[in-house]
Amino acid sequence: MMPEFDKAAPRLTFKLVYYGPAQSGKTTNLMRLHDLLAPELKGEMLTLETQGDRTLFFDLLPMGFRAPSGLLVKLRLFTVPGQVAHDGTRKAVLSRADGVIFVADSQLTQEANNAESFRNLTDNAARVGLDLERLPLIVQFNKRDLPAIVAEDEVRARWTGASWPVTFATALTGEGVRATFDQLLRTVFRRCGQEYELSGRHGLDEEAFVRGVLG
Amino acid sequence: MNGVFDREFSLGELLPTDLLDAVGPALAGLVDAGLAVLTSAGGSYWGDAPAAARREPLTVELEPAGYLASTAVPERLRAAAAVLRQLMAARVRYLMACDLHTDVVTSDYQTLLERNRALAASETRYKNLAEELEQRVAAQVELLDERQRQIYQAEKLASVGQLAAGVAHEINNPIGFVRSNVATFGTYLERLARLKQRLGDAAVAWRELDLDFVLEDGAELVRDTLAGIDRVARIVRDLKGYSNIDRPDEEMADLNQSLNEACDMVATRLSPGVAIARDLGVLPRLLCLPGHLKQVFFGVIQNGMQAVSDAHQPGTVTVTSRAVSGGIEVAIADTGVGMTTEQLARAFEPFYTTRPVGSGTGLGLTVARDIVQAHGGRMAIDSRPGAGTNVTIFLPT
Repeated sequence: MMPEFDKAAPRLTFKLVYYGPAQSGKTTNLMRLHDLLAPELKGEMLTLETQGDRTLFFDLLPMGFRAPSGLLVKLRLFTVPGQVAHDGTRKAVLSRADGVIFVADSQLTQEANNAESFRNLTDNAARVGLDLERLPLIVQFNKRDLPAIVAEDEVRARWTGASWPVTFATALTGEGVRATFDQLLRTVFRRCGQEYELSGRHGLDEEAFVRGVLG
Repeated sequence: MNGVFDREFSLGELLPTDLLDAVGPALAGLVDAGLAVLTSAGGSYWGDAPAAARREPLTVELEPAGYLASTAVPERLRAAAAVLRQLMAARVRYLMACDLHTDVVTSDYQTLLERNRALAASETRYKNLAEELEQRVAAQVELLDERQRQIYQAEKLASVGQLAAGVAHEINNPIGFVRSNVATFGTYLERLARLKQRLGDAAVAWRELDLDFVLEDGAELVRDTLAGIDRVARIVRDLKGYSNIDRPDEEMADLNQSLNEACDMVATRLSPGVAIARDLGVLPRLLCLPGHLKQVFFGVIQNGMQAVSDAHQPGTVTVTSRAVSGGIEVAIADTGVGMTTEQLARAFEPFYTTRPVGSGTGLGLTVARDIVQAHGGRMAIDSRPGAGTNVTIFLPT
């Protein structure tokens, strides 16, 4: 993982990817972020192509803010298409990611799809040269408002052995969307803040970084 | 990073000059003033802008990719910039879709190539396996055939041997007392001869009875009889030798002895007009199963005799033995009918025979070769129709 640094601009661009099974709410997460967040700079959400409510290529939400040093910190939030058939697109969108939010569908009927999609994430990460042990990754269990869902305790018990933080959300109402994103931002900052001298040279500590994005 | 779908696009990619050439003048007409597009650094990119021109940012995502400069009234300039931003957004979508599509197609194609390579490798592996299996099956079948022939031959030899042993035993007893009796009869005749000295005047009667002839001829008859009995005894001995053929012990043997015995056995029922010539060299002793080899020689010599006989003219079967480098070479050549190419090709094939049904099993040469190969040797046939056949057997010492 290596955010793109343009010295001339100067601009530091992070690529953050929402991954997960089909119709787990990745695009909804992005739409809610677009509504909820108030960063200094917020672009329009770009949706390339859809079939009904299914993403065929990807969605892209750009946002950013200026650090006290004048550095433009830019974030490009992508979603992957969840359907199994679009694996080539999923792999291309995942490549060069600086952070991933895995959006799982909490419904009992979707457990197999979640597992399959997570396996697909680990496979594709390996293919595009991302080390999942080092890559900032948050696992979000979405659709908490639905009736037949896996209990929170059970989810926590299952993921307790994994090194990735687990969050719960209802993207439709926006609940937990911001908190999940907040967690990812902090992990990303801790992972590469030092390398790019964000606090030293650019006057950005973790709080300022998160506040800059969330507004 | 050109070609990567999520890269930053340049002004040139977002607003190609030919696009500006097409829409620029129309837009300028609408805003009723000259228009120019500047780079994000403020440099000139398309069109000429007067020094007093106002600038409107052409923002993509977060930052201006360039500026639209014009002296047009502000709201018209903003409207024109909005039109260009829409064009740029469309270009972004188009470029990202194109590059992503290319990315995916290339990567899918690579995946297909890899799968294809893996499949080809696996196909080759299965093909090799199939071939190997075929070879193994063929080898197993051949081995089974050979075993079956050996069992068949062993059974045949066992029954023949049993018969021969029985016959030998039965003949040996009467032969023993016949010989003994005839020998005794000979001594009786000698005693009669001595009687002549003592008879005196009875000599006339002796003469009249021509007892001189009786004595002389009687002695000759006894001699002939004894010779005949000795011959029967020898045949029986040979038969016993033949019956010992399944004895599995190897021994240091003189192959010439086996060849002589085989020739003798064939000679006892030689067809008219066939001669057997022997040209046996000095041979080292060979560790072998002499009974089995004698069976081989007997069979091949007998084949030669039949071939000469089939030619309906006098001929010879020549048996040659020589010590050669690394072993012993035995050649059995006949001047008989010879074999056609087709017959020659199938000579060693099990159950292949040119003889009428019932007179040959078609196993003679097959078993002969098995026996020679069991001794680590080789057996070859050279034959031409009408010219005769030459069978060469090499046995390593």
